[in-house]
Amino acid sequence: MRARLTTLSMVGPALVLFVVMLVVPVCLSVYLSLTDWNGYSANPVVVGLRNYLDLTKSEEAIRAGWVTLVIAAVGTVLLSVLGLGFALLVNGASRLNALFRVILFYPHVLSALVVGFLWSAVLGTSGVVNGWLTTRGAEVLPFLSNPHWALASLIGVLVWAGFGVNVVLYLAGLQTVSKDLLESARIDGASARQTFRNVTLPALAPVVTVNLVLSLVTLLKTYDLVVSLTGGGPAGSTQTAAYLILWDSFHNNALGFGSAQSVVLMIVTAGLALTVARLRSRADQGVKG
Amino acid sequence: MSAIRMPRVATVQFKPLRTKGAGRIAFLIVTSVLMLVPMYLLVVSAFKSQQDILAHPFSLSPDQLTTQYLEKAWTNPDFNILKGYAVTALFVVSVNVLSVALAGPVSYVIARRSERRYRMLLLLFVAGTFIPSQVLVIPVVYTLKFLGLMGTIPGFVLFETTLTLPFSIFLYAGYIMTIPASLDEAAAVDGAGKHRTFWSIVFPLMKPAVVTMVILNTFSVWNDFVNPQIILGPGSGLYTVTTGVYAAVSQYSTDYTVVFPTLLLAVAPLLVVFVLLQRHVISGLTAGATKG
Repeated sequence: MRARLTTLSMVGPALVLFVVMLVVPVCLSVYLSLTDWNGYSANPVVVGLRNYLDLTKSEEAIRAGWVTLVIAAVGTVLLSVLGLGFALLVNGASRLNALFRVILFYPHVLSALVVGFLWSAVLGTSGVVNGWLTTRGAEVLPFLSNPHWALASLIGVLVWAGFGVNVVLYLAGLQTVSKDLLESARIDGASARQTFRNVTLPALAPVVTVNLVLSLVTLLKTYDLVVSLTGGGPAGSTQTAAYLILWDSFHNNALGFGSAQSVVLMIVTAGLALTVARLRSRADQGVKG
Repeated sequence: MSAIRMPRVATVQFKPLRTKGAGRIAFLIVTSVLMLVPMYLLVVSAFKSQQDILAHPFSLSPDQLTTQYLEKAWTNPDFNILKGYAVTALFVVSVNVLSVALAGPVSYVIARRSERRYRMLLLLFVAGTFIPSQVLVIPVVYTLKFLGLMGTIPGFVLFETTLTLPFSIFLYAGYIMTIPASLDEAAAVDGAGKHRTFWSIVFPLMKPAVVTMVILNTFSVWNDFVNPQIILGPGSGLYTVTTGVYAAVSQYSTDYTVVFPTLLLAVAPLLVVFVLLQRHVISGLTAGATKG
């Protein structure tokens, strides 16, 4: 009995907080998504799946969904490739490598909000780059004012600010590669490429999975940078799902509709993350088998 | 997926590593310059007039430089930056302490017990990683209102702590499994209780994982924008560094004599700490991640 109480006292506080602040709110989202609540009326009216039906017809929500998926897909590939590539380049123990690691990582220390304001001051129509171009008689470049450029700029800034984290994760993974195996591969006369493919990469497999899942989950909730870099524009072309959800819920007072989008985003996030993890674990077994 | 992509990485990135050391260094220097240019612009523009920022963004001639805009940002009536630092630092410390105090013991139980329900418990916590906090905050507003904690510091700290739990518990539980259980059994023989055993025997040994989490949580709490903006709101009069920057900058986003000095003041403390402790930060992140 005492042992039980002790266990309970160790598990209880964290579990209670987790349930109150995460499990209950998620359930609340699901419930609200089935109502027409506007955020302040006394009694939300249950409307069934109407919000979800509206969602399939809302051009704005569908576009935000695609924008989010493009950011997540392109961003995840770039973050993983750059992360692994640069981790291999700065893996040595020299002082210069330590310096490079710091330089690649430092944007992560800045908040996404600040990064967005900073880059919008650099890339905006009247920003630093365009101001410099104008004084030299050149054409202004539409980094943030053309829908396609704006999305590309957004992804570029996300990658600039984020790939240092992937570098650090891959560096951690590289430390787990067996020194003995690398040594024997060298003695057996394996080329750098053969060693990489047959020794380093298989050992990195779990880190690759962690990188892909973390990048994907992080990018799917892109919000702060949209607020400060593009404000969702031009003409809504960089509105992400999270941006639209918060907008609909608090500015449009469409809490039911916003919640329906939230539920879809949560399901898509969990679904994609689990799919990637499963595909990766199957690939790992393929390598071993 | 990886089978298609990874070998390409190998051919592009791995060759120069071995064949051309100078090429690798040159490539890294070019990349470093690209990484640092925005920071350089941020720092020098904080000391320049609007006209000079646009006409000569990169120049650094002493007669252009002035501290007047920085002083103006420091005394901005819309955003008391010193108070912003203090409030944000208070949040960082509270969340870190509370996070370790809550996640530590539960991770210990999960790591040391083999029953099915503890594995389910771990899965429940880890599933929290997939819930986007930007979206979660909407229903949390109503939960906090119900509890009477909306717009309060405890409400914000509790929610922010909750967001740290999934990854902390995942990392700590994984780390504790690498610590031999014989150590705590020896402590149990000596009559130490579970709490005592955890805090005095196991906890000191999981320092690398705790350091990793403290670093990550410090960044995420200091830099968080949407949660303090919504939970604390403009009505509470409590500004963190990010919500203060938003209040000070968003209306004047093309007046760069406001934008750059404010942004510089906002990033300076954490950036200085990072530069001073950089080796510990990067190795701290790697150390925790390797075992966990």
